[in-house]
Amino acid sequence: MKLAVLAALLVLEAALFAAIGGFPASASLKDYVDYGESLLVQSCPILLLAFGMTIVISTAGIDLSVGSMTALVACVMAVAGEGATFWATAVPAGLAVALLAGLANGATIALLDVPPIIATLGTMILYRGLCWVTVGDREMDPFFDVRHYEHLGEPLAALVLVALVYGGGTLYFGASRWRREVLMLGGNRVAARYAGVPVVRRTLEVYALVGLLAFLAAVTFTARQGSVTASALAGLELKVIVAVVLGGTRVEGGSASVLGSLLGVAIIAVLDEGLRGAKRWGDEHLPFEVAHLRFVSLGLLLAAGVWLNARFAGRPGRRRSRKGAPSVEAPR
Amino acid sequence: MLPSRLVLYRIAFLLGADAAFLALIALLLPEEGSLWQEISSAAVNMAPSVLAGLGMTGIILAGSIDLSIGAAIAVAGSVFGILVHHGAPPPACYAACFAAAWLISMANGGLVRLLGIPGIIVTLAGLSVYRGVALMAADVAIPAFSGNISVIDDAYHGPGKHHAGSILVAAVACALLWEAFARTPRLWRARGSSEEACRIQGLSPGGILQSAFFAGGLFLGLAALLQVTQIQAIEPARLALGFELPVIGAVVLGGTHIFGGEGSYLGTVAGAFFLHFAQQLLVYAGVSEYWREVIIGAAILGVIGMDCRLHRRRKLLEELT
Repeated sequence: MKLAVLAALLVLEAALFAAIGGFPASASLKDYVDYGESLLVQSCPILLLAFGMTIVISTAGIDLSVGSMTALVACVMAVAGEGATFWATAVPAGLAVALLAGLANGATIALLDVPPIIATLGTMILYRGLCWVTVGDREMDPFFDVRHYEHLGEPLAALVLVALVYGGGTLYFGASRWRREVLMLGGNRVAARYAGVPVVRRTLEVYALVGLLAFLAAVTFTARQGSVTASALAGLELKVIVAVVLGGTRVEGGSASVLGSLLGVAIIAVLDEGLRGAKRWGDEHLPFEVAHLRFVSLGLLLAAGVWLNARFAGRPGRRRSRKGAPSVEAPR
Repeated sequence: MLPSRLVLYRIAFLLGADAAFLALIALLLPEEGSLWQEISSAAVNMAPSVLAGLGMTGIILAGSIDLSIGAAIAVAGSVFGILVHHGAPPPACYAACFAAAWLISMANGGLVRLLGIPGIIVTLAGLSVYRGVALMAADVAIPAFSGNISVIDDAYHGPGKHHAGSILVAAVACALLWEAFARTPRLWRARGSSEEACRIQGLSPGGILQSAFFAGGLFLGLAALLQVTQIQAIEPARLALGFELPVIGAVVLGGTHIFGGEGSYLGTVAGAFFLHFAQQLLVYAGVSEYWREVIIGAAILGVIGMDCRLHRRRKLLEELT
């Protein structure tokens, strides 16, 4: 039901932007395919990260550092190796940094008990600082010197990667004991501990998974762009979070909808692309830059998504405690 | 009301550390610099963060948080810049700047109550929305807006450039007196400790939270005013970007528990100066700018981590009951 609403919203949004964004009425099938391909390639990092974010949010956590983490991995890969040695040095280095960064998030949250949003707000700024330390204010572009690397940025590769992550992830995630334990973490941490769920270990695993996906996202990003700067991908985290929340995953934890997140990313991607395409229309009809609407719309979508999820997708009796029973409060 | 013993120890430690940092800075100072100058410039530079930290302390004490303070300052800056651009007299500009930040804080409080979703999510959304609003307001009100509004005339730089130190001292003194004698800060602690207990006691948790955002807004308004009037060019897209983490770091460093319930204004002030002096020390030690940011970021995170770790045992015990 919810997915149908999301799909309808997506179609409506695409139609709206097609009307104002100058999509010609005489567009052939090829134009639509091109549009879809560019959308897929553009949003590939968001798609990959959204899968990890769905799982993180389902444990009542959040990861604000994904944008900085992806940029950091890309920066490290840019300086770690060039040309022939790239596959042997830069790729393992990037992978190691990604896993370390993810584990650092997980350790801060699981071992030190820092609220996830504060911990990852800190690492978001910390990892961004490390980006500056790594590449300074230069633009690093060793990626197109690597043989065959640019193929990873093509639509087909993006499609395969996304299908692998979502398909494989859903198959495993959908039926495993791991999924139940992770959801239980979000549903009720105390109960999870009493039920023998290894709380600390699962938390570490979940954040390390985000690190791994950040590595994949960094690869697709650099394979498409060919270069990276220290300020790359700023603001990516908000898009990922909004997409996941729109998809119906509750920030209070305990539920996850991978398919919903996929639709959520599509909505965000169409919005992003649409606002870019609507620039000329906006210059004529609106008193402000259309691009600035992006901040406002992302924030409003986040608030609206969280509110709707809490209100309509919530289980009865959870939000307001019954008489006598202690209220179950989601950890912040 | 006196803060708890744990918080008092923290404050004593911080004040000692501040003094030690100052002594080290005095050793590293170049010939022509003077320590008094260092302290007074610290007061001026830190005034916005300290004031915003005082507001944030109240909000965190009450069990919520405000991540959107940087974006709120951007809106206040935009409003200020627009009025200056259209030639409004300085007092009107100051008042509007203050009011804009205050209203946004109030709106945050109202939204948290109205929507019934955690303050952290509301203000995370606000972080983005207010930034966009600041940009769009500048687009609409200034023809051919280029991305920054220059405020050259010195008449518009009164509070930030010439009175920042005295405003800071006055505000901190008021805050400390108020905390010591008034009832409201105690109510914030009560709500931060247990919302349920407040309700049973017949207090209104929503109203208490609103009062924390009300007072927080007053401090945030002052912080915005000082921040905006210190600079020559107001860039709504970059003004006070990333302002919230050092402020939250100072608050937590000062002994205020991130989940609310305990803490103090004095700790926040000491914590903010601790961070500032640590940074100055790195400057004098010749650490490059990029590394400085990384070190300070890691230090803030480490401090918050240690603080949460210290509270971990009590939290686990509470889970048992």
